[in-house]
Amino acid sequence: MTASPTPAAGRPLLDVADLHVEFDTHGGVVKAVRGVSFSVQAGRTLAIVGESGCGKSVSVLSVMGLVPTPPGRITRGAARLGDVDILRRKIVDGHDVRGSRIAMIFQDPMSALNPTMRVGDQIAETLQVHRGLSRADAFRRAVEVLAQTHIPDAEARAKQYPFTFSGGMLQRAMIAMAIACEPEVLIADEPTTALDVTIQAQILDLLQELQRRTGMAIVLITHDLGVVARMADDVSVMYAGEIVESGSADDVFYRSAHPYTLGLRAAMPSQATTKAAGLQPIEGTPPDLFDPPPGCAYVARCPHAMHLCRPHRPEPFQVDPAHHARCWLHHPGAPAGRDGVYRGARA
Amino acid sequence: MTPPLRFQPADFEPISAGPPTAAPSRPSLSYWQDSWRRLRRNRRAFVSLAIVAALGVFAVAGPWIWPRDPAAQDVDQISQAPALPPTAAIVDPYTPWAGVTAEPPADGPRWEPASAGPSVTNLRLAEPATTQAVRLVWDGVEGAAGYVVYRSVYDPAPDRALGLPLGDTVGAARVSYEDRLDVEERRYWYSVVVLGEDSTERDAYATLVVEPVRAVSAEEAELRGWVADASRISPGDTIALPYHPLGTDYLGRDLLARLMHGARVSLFIGVVAPLLYVLAGIVVGSAAGFIGGRVDQLLMRFADFVVALPFLLFMILFKVAFGIGPGESGILPMLVALVLLSWPAAARLVRGQILQVRQEAYVAASRLLGAKTGYLVFRHMIPQTMGVILVTLTFAVPSAIFTEAFLSFIGMGVAPPTPSWGSMANEGIRTMLSHPHELLFPAFAISIAVLAFNLLGDGLRDALDVRMRGRE
Amino acid sequence: MLAYTVKRLLQGAATVWFIATATFVAMHSVPGDPLANQRATSEEIRRNLEERYGLDRPVIEQYGIFLGSMLRGDFGISFTQENRRVNDIIRENFPVSATLGILAVTFAALGGILWGALTALYRNRLPDLVITFLVILGISVPSFVVAALGQLALVNLNAAVGEPLLPVAGWGTLRHMIVPSLVLGLGTMAYLTRLMRSSMLEIADADFIRTARAKGLPPTRIFLKHQLRNAILPVVTVLGPAIAAITTGGFVVELVFAIPGLGRYFVTAVQQLDYTVIMGTTVFYGAFLVVMVIAVDLLYGWIDPRVRLE
Repeated sequence: MTASPTPAAGRPLLDVADLHVEFDTHGGVVKAVRGVSFSVQAGRTLAIVGESGCGKSVSVLSVMGLVPTPPGRITRGAARLGDVDILRRKIVDGHDVRGSRIAMIFQDPMSALNPTMRVGDQIAETLQVHRGLSRADAFRRAVEVLAQTHIPDAEARAKQYPFTFSGGMLQRAMIAMAIACEPEVLIADEPTTALDVTIQAQILDLLQELQRRTGMAIVLITHDLGVVARMADDVSVMYAGEIVESGSADDVFYRSAHPYTLGLRAAMPSQATTKAAGLQPIEGTPPDLFDPPPGCAYVARCPHAMHLCRPHRPEPFQVDPAHHARCWLHHPGAPAGRDGVYRGARA
Repeated sequence: MTPPLRFQPADFEPISAGPPTAAPSRPSLSYWQDSWRRLRRNRRAFVSLAIVAALGVFAVAGPWIWPRDPAAQDVDQISQAPALPPTAAIVDPYTPWAGVTAEPPADGPRWEPASAGPSVTNLRLAEPATTQAVRLVWDGVEGAAGYVVYRSVYDPAPDRALGLPLGDTVGAARVSYEDRLDVEERRYWYSVVVLGEDSTERDAYATLVVEPVRAVSAEEAELRGWVADASRISPGDTIALPYHPLGTDYLGRDLLARLMHGARVSLFIGVVAPLLYVLAGIVVGSAAGFIGGRVDQLLMRFADFVVALPFLLFMILFKVAFGIGPGESGILPMLVALVLLSWPAAARLVRGQILQVRQEAYVAASRLLGAKTGYLVFRHMIPQTMGVILVTLTFAVPSAIFTEAFLSFIGMGVAPPTPSWGSMANEGIRTMLSHPHELLFPAFAISIAVLAFNLLGDGLRDALDVRMRGRE
Repeated sequence: MLAYTVKRLLQGAATVWFIATATFVAMHSVPGDPLANQRATSEEIRRNLEERYGLDRPVIEQYGIFLGSMLRGDFGISFTQENRRVNDIIRENFPVSATLGILAVTFAALGGILWGALTALYRNRLPDLVITFLVILGISVPSFVVAALGQLALVNLNAAVGEPLLPVAGWGTLRHMIVPSLVLGLGTMAYLTRLMRSSMLEIADADFIRTARAKGLPPTRIFLKHQLRNAILPVVTVLGPAIAAITTGGFVVELVFAIPGLGRYFVTAVQQLDYTVIMGTTVFYGAFLVVMVIAVDLLYGWIDPRVRLE
């Protein structure tokens, strides 16, 4: 298997800029994604972290054109895959970029596969559509791809139906389906959430192995900081439809520059967590996205909230090169604090 | 990028407001409150609820508001279509008519052997036509052997369908005819055909359209009970006849009254039978669900068998088996048969619900928290199951109404003369081509009732579906 | 699959036995004398008749004889029509009912799937609203009304055209069959359309449809291979009961359109209290329905691998 052509270093494969997504509901318009930007380079893994409902899934589903419209609506933004804005155009040179150049795997493998189709046929389908292979060739290739995901006896398994598979095996089949056409970007939306802990590790290992081999970029959506620590090169933290902090994994983890990131870390169980300190929940609930606050979305829960945080929305401040945080604490006028928020190497 | 903002040091002062917790601001609704709210929002379901209520009023209060005997026959108004209140003119008692004899005019048409022949001319009424008698006069044809008079309720023009031959006259000079044959208040086409010398009919004919007025003599009106005292009315007066707003059936029975009494029968079966068999289903289903084991298996296997019985055949069979004694309406046998054959569906449903609810984590959690069985049953099991049962019940009503109508329609249901919508439709179909209203009204009643209950069931299902909570 | 088939067949046999027993019990609790309206004018004739129909034996023995002859496929001799075997009556009249029923079921299933898929495709747009309205009408108007109105419409249509386009009643040619089978299938079609619509909408939201779109498959392929196939499954499961409903609903259509089917014969037999014909037809119909339901179950197993392989 040959590695896909690697673009010039530093140039992102997938570049999402200023994405806005809204949903019409009976209760009003929900502004689910409010100006999200992220990019990922070949061979690297970007993790998008955040609690449920923060808009991380909606962001990537929009990129894939999988947000049902109506009620959903992409109001602004761009998502460039190479030279093409795939937010507006999915068909390039007569081929759908989805499944061929950018692929996606989902949270619940149990329901993400068609129950009435053989697993092998579902993998072969992509090859037939995108590569123009014959049914038999596509199936043969599907068996090979399935074997790459370390499913034992792939030949026999390919002829079986999803309901005979275990959860972990289904996720492997899902991955096989996604990588069959050797996409440049793989989006994984909580790929391990529905699986046993032991299986989780295997699936993550598999993803890393495949990435090493093919050089594909991975966008990993998760709320599990443990998965992030294990997988990610870069991390974007989302809150209430915005990215509040982004940077390398080390930056975000060890030099957290946003109070929300700090809150997330404190709420995460780790070996270092002592019984006495315990887990620190973040008090309160995320803001109502029917009517998002004009200023910082986190202000109501932030222990360091300042008066200007309410009326004024913070721009992403550069903390270090390639490390940004949407927080007024990084404004030059903000008081130097003992608040545990990293203020950058210059400070 | 927004223009750079200027901030004062005060802007960077920490907010020292109280706890950062923003309490959820939406009011919480109980299950039934939420369901009722959603049902009310569903306009279709709400209209159906109103229709169901109106049908109930129609059946219960109708016969008091319109106290006409549904079995009384109005022989003067048979198969009457819905119309304005009928009236009758009072006329003198019938006196025989001598008729008119006149030689054909000398310059008039003559009968010629070889041709289609001339037709009579100037066909007219001798006096205003009434239901008592229609008296026709015409100008004769010289040399005619006689004339034949036809009557039709359709226009004979296109293919010379002259209708009923009423009678013939002899001789060219006999140029009148009196029709007293069941003349009704409707439009007639009278045609007169000339008879040739060999008494064969000629092709040519003359036609007159006549609309007789309903007429009755004062004595007859009193005899029929339309007026109390014959001496107080005189010829030229007009009296009102019994009014049938929806018309009458082939026996002259008032359709509105029959629809109302039929509604009682049809809706009684439609509502009571489902109530009974759902109740039976609840008993059997909860027994199976709660006791479990052998009992459960036995009951459910039996339910499987009953479900497999061909429903309508056994309805008919049970109907025959229970028999209808003289003077009985046959409602009770139908109820019993419906309950005997229909309980398994409800039983399966209730059993499934109970088994499901018993396994729910929240029930286990509630039990762990020390909830007593009674609390569990009333707080968790009943609300969970009631919705489904209510929806089943609503959908069972139209199918029971259908079953009654179907059986009565094929003559295996409610026994005559008790009216039910199905039996009315059965009687109506015989006169469908000439008097469609006798079929259409009961058919419409059945359809509207079934429609209302179906839509109501849809609405209830949506309203009670927990997955739909908070939406819309 | 084989074990499943055998199990279903055994269950079916037990069900037919239950139907036969229920029929026997029902018919033997009929009040009055089965020979009362017969030509049992003298005691001797009466005894002969009783002997002939086995009515002089104890009930248990009659039951045994009844079951035995049922097993041999012998439904006995008609009560009212001397020397006519019930088997012959069924043989002559059932094919007519079956043809009518098969046509109606085909029409209902194809129509239901087609209309249901259409409404789901045009969700909340004009075609959906129109079809949904017609479906509600179809569910709410009883079959005999549809039959009567169909006939009325046919009479007027023929009158308007000036020549008989389609026969108003009777049986024999394909032209006779069109309108009755349409009328008979209409209610079931409406029901199946509704089912298909909700099934299509449910599947449209399913995760695996999202997966298919994420794979970049063309919309027609997603629709045909992923959505339609899965959406049809619930429709197939109710085909068994639908066949039952259509076959028995056939009585009315046979009556209205003067079709010489078994249903019409059954109604006549009930009116004349022709015991053997009633019992024979009921058991025959019951067995037929059981067989149809099993056939549909097996068909379902063939379509849905989850059932087939369990």
